[in-house]
Amino acid sequence: MLMFIVRRLLQTIPVIIGVTFVVFFIMQLVPGDPAVLLAGEGASKETIEAIRDQLGLNRPLLVQYFDYLTSVFRGDFGVSLKNSQPVLDEILVRLPITVELSFFSILITIVLGMAAGIISAIKPYSLKDTTVMIVALLGISLPSFWFGLMLMYFFSVKLQILPVAGWDSILHVILPALTLGAGGAAIVARMTRSSMLEVIRQDYIRTARAKGVRESVIIYKHGLRNALIPVITVVGLQFGALLGGTVLVESIFAINGLGRMIVDSIRMRDLPMVQGGVLVASLVFVVVNLIVDVLYRFFNKRIELN
Amino acid sequence: MQGAADKNVLLEVEHLKQYFPVKTDSLFKPKAYVQAVDDIFFKLYEGETLSIVGESGCGKSTTGRAILRLDEPTAGRVYYSGTNILGLNKKEMRKLRGDLQVIFQDPFASLNPRQTVKQILNEAMAIQDVVEKSKRMDRMFELLGYVGLPPEALDRYPHEFSGGQRQRIGIARALAVNPKLIICDEAVSALDVSVQAQVLNLLKKLQKQFGLTFLFISHDLSVVRHISDRVMVMYLGKVVEIADKKDLFDTPLHPYTRALLSSIPVPNPELKRERIILKGDVPSPINPPNGCRFHTRCPFVTEKCKTEEPALRELDTNHMVSCHYAENFK
Amino acid sequence: MTESNKPILEVKGLKTHFFTKRGVSKAVDGIDFSLHKGETLGIVGESGCGKSITSLSILRLIPSPPGKIAGGQVLFKGKDLVTISEDEMRRVRGNEISMIFQEPMTSLNPVLPVGEQIAEALRMHQNMGRKAAWERAVEMLKLVGIPSPEKRAKQEPFQLSGGMRQRVMIAMALACTPEVLIADEPTTALDVTIQAQILELIKDLQNRLGMGVIMITHDLGVVAETCDTVAVMYAGNIIEHAPTEKIFANPRHPYTQGLLDSLPKIHEDQEELQTIEGSVPSPYNMPAGCRFASRCPHQQPICHEQQPELIEQNDGVKVRCWMYTDLWTVKMVKEEAVK
Repeated sequence: MLMFIVRRLLQTIPVIIGVTFVVFFIMQLVPGDPAVLLAGEGASKETIEAIRDQLGLNRPLLVQYFDYLTSVFRGDFGVSLKNSQPVLDEILVRLPITVELSFFSILITIVLGMAAGIISAIKPYSLKDTTVMIVALLGISLPSFWFGLMLMYFFSVKLQILPVAGWDSILHVILPALTLGAGGAAIVARMTRSSMLEVIRQDYIRTARAKGVRESVIIYKHGLRNALIPVITVVGLQFGALLGGTVLVESIFAINGLGRMIVDSIRMRDLPMVQGGVLVASLVFVVVNLIVDVLYRFFNKRIELN
Repeated sequence: MQGAADKNVLLEVEHLKQYFPVKTDSLFKPKAYVQAVDDIFFKLYEGETLSIVGESGCGKSTTGRAILRLDEPTAGRVYYSGTNILGLNKKEMRKLRGDLQVIFQDPFASLNPRQTVKQILNEAMAIQDVVEKSKRMDRMFELLGYVGLPPEALDRYPHEFSGGQRQRIGIARALAVNPKLIICDEAVSALDVSVQAQVLNLLKKLQKQFGLTFLFISHDLSVVRHISDRVMVMYLGKVVEIADKKDLFDTPLHPYTRALLSSIPVPNPELKRERIILKGDVPSPINPPNGCRFHTRCPFVTEKCKTEEPALRELDTNHMVSCHYAENFK
Repeated sequence: MTESNKPILEVKGLKTHFFTKRGVSKAVDGIDFSLHKGETLGIVGESGCGKSITSLSILRLIPSPPGKIAGGQVLFKGKDLVTISEDEMRRVRGNEISMIFQEPMTSLNPVLPVGEQIAEALRMHQNMGRKAAWERAVEMLKLVGIPSPEKRAKQEPFQLSGGMRQRVMIAMALACTPEVLIADEPTTALDVTIQAQILELIKDLQNRLGMGVIMITHDLGVVAETCDTVAVMYAGNIIEHAPTEKIFANPRHPYTQGLLDSLPKIHEDQEELQTIEGSVPSPYNMPAGCRFASRCPHQQPICHEQQPELIEQNDGVKVRCWMYTDLWTVKMVKEEAVK
C-alpha cells in the first residue's frame, strides 16, 4: 500500500510539469498583448517596448518558460500586471473560499446523490424510483447558471430566506453549493442506483438472505459497501467538473473565489494571475485524484491481487 | 492399443515451460512467477487420444494453449511432424493453424454472436483457404451433416442453439479446415450428462472417420476413461504419471493418481471402496514445494520426497511415473 | 434413518412459476417429498429441471417478481413456510433451515471478514453478544477443519482457497445448528479431491448434529455416495423417487434409465455411450401428457394425452410413468390379443 502511494506520488511529477507547460503556452496563444494593456491606451511605441523588456517578454519563449518554471518551484508565481501585487498572495486569499465552496458542494453531491440512489435501488421501477430518476435526469441536463438563477429567484427574491449573493455567513454557502453540487449529485444518484442493483443480484446477497439477515441490514451492510467501489471513482471525477463549475457559480453569486479571479484576470489579460490560478487549480485536482485512487484501493483490496 | 513403436509421433513436447510473471507490490522484492507448466515432456501419436487430467491450476489447459502458441511459452520445443513450431514466424504459424484446431469449454464465448453459422464456417475456410469459393456451400452442408445439425442451421445465430448444439458448431468449425490434431479443452465439461454423451459419441465417430488425433484436456476422469487411449496426469505444473488408459486406471502408480481416482464419486451405491482423502489444498504454483511437488499432501511422504525431485521414469512399458517409491504400488 | 418418525420437512404439491413477458414458466410444477431427521435426500436432474428452484422455494428465496410460489405447502414444525409472515420466515432462515450454494467464490461477501459473516447469524438468531458470537464463529471454523481458525476468521474471502471458502459456507450454515441443511450443488465448482473432503465433512457433521440434508446435484456419483433417498426431477416434476440402492440397481422411469446409461463408466469400457434423443420441453409450453413422452423409447398414445401421477409401487419406489400402471398392462394385454 505504501509502495503504491509512493509510486502514485512519483507519477504526479510529470503531470504537474506537463500542466505548467500547457498553461504557459496556451496563454501565449491568447490574443492581446499584455504590454499594450499595461501601458494603457495611446502609449508610445517606446513605452510599450520598454515594458516588454522589463517583463522579459522579448526573450525566446522556451527561455521564458524555464524561467517561469523555476520561479514556480521556488514558490514565486510572479506579480499581477494589474496591481503589481504578488500572485501567490492573491491566490492564498481566494483559494480557501473556493475550497470551502467545493467542499460543501461535494458533500451535497455525495449525501444527496447516494441517498437518492439507494432510495431508487431498494424498489426499482417503483413510483419513488421513477420520480427520483426523473429529478436526477433534470439535475444532469439543466445548465448550472440557469439553475443557480432559479434558486436565487425563489429562495432569495421570492421567499427571502437566503442571501442573494456574497460570502459572509454559512447561509451564503447554501445556494452556490447546491447549484454546484446538483449535477454531481444526479450523476452519483444514477451511479449508486445501478451499482446497487448490480450488487443486489450477487450470490452473496442471496447468501445473506438465506442466513435470515434483515432486508435493511442487507442493503446497508452487505450491499452498500460493495456498491460504493465504483461510486468513489465517479465522485473523484466530479471534482474535475467542480473546478470548471466554480468559475460559473462564483460569477453568478458574486463570490471572490479562485474561479472568479481567473475569469477577471483573463478579461484583464493579467497573464501571471491566470497562469497562477490555473496552475493551483490543477494542482488541487491532481492531489484530489491521488486521494481518490488511494481510497479506491483501500476499499477494494482485491485489485491488489489481480 | 498397438505398441508405441509402430506408431508415428505427430507431436512431441520437450522441456515445455510456461511461467507467468506475477505483479509484486514492492520494487525491491524479486519478480515472482506462476510456474504454470514446468519442464514437461510427452509425445502424441498419430490417431490417438491422449488426455491430460488434473485439478485446477495443474497446468493442463496452459499446456494446450502453449502448444498452440495462444500464450507464447517461456521455453521448450514443440515438434509437429518434425518441425519445432515454437520457432516458426507468424506467417508459417498461421499456415500451420489449419492442422491444429481447438474446441473450448464454453462454445458460446468462442463463437461470434453476430455471425450466423454460415459466416462462422465460411470465415474458418477463408482464413486457411482450404476450399475453393465455389465449393464452400457444399462443404458447409457436408460439415453440418458430420456433426449432426440440420441444413437450416446455417442461417441461424449461436444464441438460437442449445449448449450441446453450440458445441457441435464449434466442432464443425474446427473440422472445416481439415485439421490433423484437435485440442479439446474441457470440451464437454459444461454440458449435461445426456448431451455430453452425444458429443462424446460424435467426437469418437469423427476421429475414426477422419483419422484425427485428440489432445483431450479434462478434469472429469470418467469422461477421460471413456475417450482416451493414453492418459497423462498433471499436478502443479508437472507430469506425475503417463500411461495407457487401462494401466493407469487399473494400476495407478503415483499416490496422487491413486487419490484422484479414489475421489471420484461413482454412481453405484453398492460399490464400497477404500477412499483416500487428501489433506489440505493444492499449494500455490508461485512457490511450489521443493522436492516432489506432491509431498505436502502425500500420505506416504518421506524425508527424501521433501528434498529430492523425482524424475519421470518408465516403470513398465509405456508407463511413466514420477515418484521415488512407485515400485511399492505395483 | 428412522422411517417411523414424523418427517421434519414435508413438501406438498409445491408449484413455483415465473411470470415473464414470454409467458408463464412452470419451473417447478407440483412436487412432493418429505425429509426425516438424519436423512439425506438427493434431488437430481439436468439443468433447467427445477431442482435449484425447488430448494430456493423452500426458503422463499425466489426472486420476486417474476417468480412466485403458485401453490402447495412446505410444512416445517407445524408451520406452512409458504404462508407465514416474512418476519417469521426470516427467523427460520439460517437458523432452523440453512442453505449452502454452488459457488463458494461468489457466495461470500467480498468485503467482510469471514468470521463476521458467520458471527452475524449467531448474533441475529441466538442473541449472542459480539464477543461470544465471534468466539463461536472461530469454533465453527475449527469444526469444519480450517487450520489456524483465529487468523482465518479475520481474513476476507479472497484470501482463502475455493475449498476453504466452501468450508466457511458450511460453518456459516451450521452455526445455529439447523435441523435441515439444503446443499445446492455444494461441490460442483470444486476439484475432485476437494469435493471428496467436503462431502466427507458434510456427512460427518450430519452424523454429529443429526440434521436432515437435501442434496441438490446433477452428479449421480455424488448422489450414490451420499444420499439415502433420491428424487429424480425432469421438467419441473419428480419422475422417480426411491431409496438410493433401488434407483441405481433398478431404475424404473425411462428417463432415469437413460440418464444412468449416458454416464461414462469409470470401471468399464464402452465403445459408445447411450444417449437420450430429443430435448427437454420448454417450461413456457409444457405438453399435456407425460413431459418425457416425446423422447421416450416406450411412448404410447396415452403418454401424449394425459400426464401420469407419481405412484408408489409395491416395493416403495415411486414412479411417474404409465408403464407402471394397470392401464398399461391392460392395454398391453389388448395389443397382445389383437396380434
